[in-house]
Amino acid sequence: MIPEPNGFTRRAWTKATGIAAASVAAGSIVSEESCARSPQRVQPWAPVSIYRAATYSEELYDLVRLIITEHSLDVRGKRVVLKPNLVEFDAHTVINTNPKLVHAALEAFRAAGAAEVRIAEGPGHRRITLDLAEAGGYFATVPQFESLFTDLNLDEITRVHLVNPQSKLTSLFLPNTILGCDLLVSMPKLKTHHWAGATLSMKNLFGLVPGGVYGWPKNVLHWAGIPECIADLHALFPHAFAIVDGIIGMEGNGPIQGTPRSAGVVVAGASPVAVDATCCRIMGLDPVRIRYLQLAAGEHNLSEQLIPQRGERIATVAAHFAVLPALEGLRLPS
Amino acid sequence: MMRYSEDLLGRQNADGGWSYHRGGSWTEPTCYAILALATSGASHTAEVRRAVEWLRRCQRADGGLAPRESVPESTWLTALALLLPPELDSIDRKRAEAWTVEQTGRESGWVNRLRLWMLGADSSGDSLSFEGWSWYPGTAAWVGPTAISLLALEKLEKRGRPEDGAGLRKRIEEGRSFLLVRRCRDGGWNHGSTRALGYDSDSYPETTGLALLALHGTSGPEVTQGLARGEQHLATCQSSQAASWLRLGLGAHGRTLPAPADAPGKQTVEGTPALPMHGGVMEIALAALADAAQAGRNPFLDV
Repeated sequence: MIPEPNGFTRRAWTKATGIAAASVAAGSIVSEESCARSPQRVQPWAPVSIYRAATYSEELYDLVRLIITEHSLDVRGKRVVLKPNLVEFDAHTVINTNPKLVHAALEAFRAAGAAEVRIAEGPGHRRITLDLAEAGGYFATVPQFESLFTDLNLDEITRVHLVNPQSKLTSLFLPNTILGCDLLVSMPKLKTHHWAGATLSMKNLFGLVPGGVYGWPKNVLHWAGIPECIADLHALFPHAFAIVDGIIGMEGNGPIQGTPRSAGVVVAGASPVAVDATCCRIMGLDPVRIRYLQLAAGEHNLSEQLIPQRGERIATVAAHFAVLPALEGLRLPS
Repeated sequence: MMRYSEDLLGRQNADGGWSYHRGGSWTEPTCYAILALATSGASHTAEVRRAVEWLRRCQRADGGLAPRESVPESTWLTALALLLPPELDSIDRKRAEAWTVEQTGRESGWVNRLRLWMLGADSSGDSLSFEGWSWYPGTAAWVGPTAISLLALEKLEKRGRPEDGAGLRKRIEEGRSFLLVRRCRDGGWNHGSTRALGYDSDSYPETTGLALLALHGTSGPEVTQGLARGEQHLATCQSSQAASWLRLGLGAHGRTLPAPADAPGKQTVEGTPALPMHGGVMEIALAALADAAQAGRNPFLDV
């Protein structure tokens, strides 16, 4: 890709302006180049699929291929970026998205004809991302991982302006790897979160914000309002595809110090809000009580009946995740 | 040291700066690369002069430095640039010094204390008592930028900064207190959040090394515990870059470290795991700086 003179790639500009036109309803972004607003809105929610997966086995490779087929993802000739959640130096706990699922997605999108599939992440606390990925098992699981990986904290960047932001932010620098891709695939772990209630495909987008500009942690997001910033980042990428690693999730004092909780599911879909709402219900949390989901959904109803469901029913896979006492109020009404 | 210098020179961008790994130049790796090259005796080479020229372009009208040319905002990197030898004449130091001295974490300001008080939250805790430095203006103070800013201000003080000596000393003392208060229960340091919702957080090797470096010359039970935790971290460290910070931090307190061994593509110190190096500029520069410190030349502390 040849950068434009202003450092913003042609593909990124096209993408950003395209995103803006398609995401206006949520109150979203545009690039440095201002973009006309349109009344277009995304409704109803895209279907959400729940698949059973008891372990991180070879079966995941077929499962992600099935997800791509079922959701009619046409990635032929396109650039795909997989965004896992990498948090800590540990291959043996459930803090990070399991590398096996990420590798399965890499292979599946390649098999589906993607021109390029990259893995990218910008951790919020630990600065040394490649070492973090190595300790997390990514080098051992994903052949040639280093050449496929972009540290989003240190990538080339472009400033994008937020239109009608919900947070106090008016603009954000974002990585060109993300602005320039055709499909962003958010691949979080199914975890409770001690501030936000739950950390899923939308909260995972905090990892797009470059630490190289904002620091470690990306504290500018905290002061601007965590739920509001999650909603703003979602509005920037409303068409991200979500694949949630709920095979073994984390309950209690997530996202770092919680305890492993086997949920035995992979949840996927093209509406991050609907995917995250479904994941909340699987964990026993009420998505209507999760502030960032409220903000991102806007006037759209998060009712379970309005989210088309495929595969397993929520009731058959539901797991009552433990939460900190302060978050008991987020539980689904019994 | 020589092998690291050659490696760094081979990675310099055409504009004079360095990227973190590949791509455009950033202020942080450029500063560390200059520091490593200057420590190796290459201060007056054409490569360092080009790097200094690039760095000048990142200084903003307010005196601070931005993370890269395309970013208009000044950030914590201003303090990092102040660690460069003054003879390099890299930036307008007076304005950069003034900018750094003025910065404080938002959490310790009266507006936030009033906000917390009105919300019924505890606004009197130790964590709000001491002023540190933030990564980005208008946000809270954290261990990383506070440690670097402390090192920069100490250099200014040692050089006999003529004006506002008392103010400088106060910031240095407050910064040290900030670091001591932000120590984790296990004795080391993480990014600066020791407890969340009543739960203790664990320390990280890299921030433990950096905090120990900034606390050089400080003693007491907190530092002793920090050093013990640092040694534990070094024995099990999984990151070359983190090991370099630990070597710098422990060495600054006179801890004897085994000599580094020459192992291409790996950082090896006797008694510690052989750590793979991924070729990042920070990783290479910090390994060079840790080696130099072990050889008796610590550019973070030497004036």
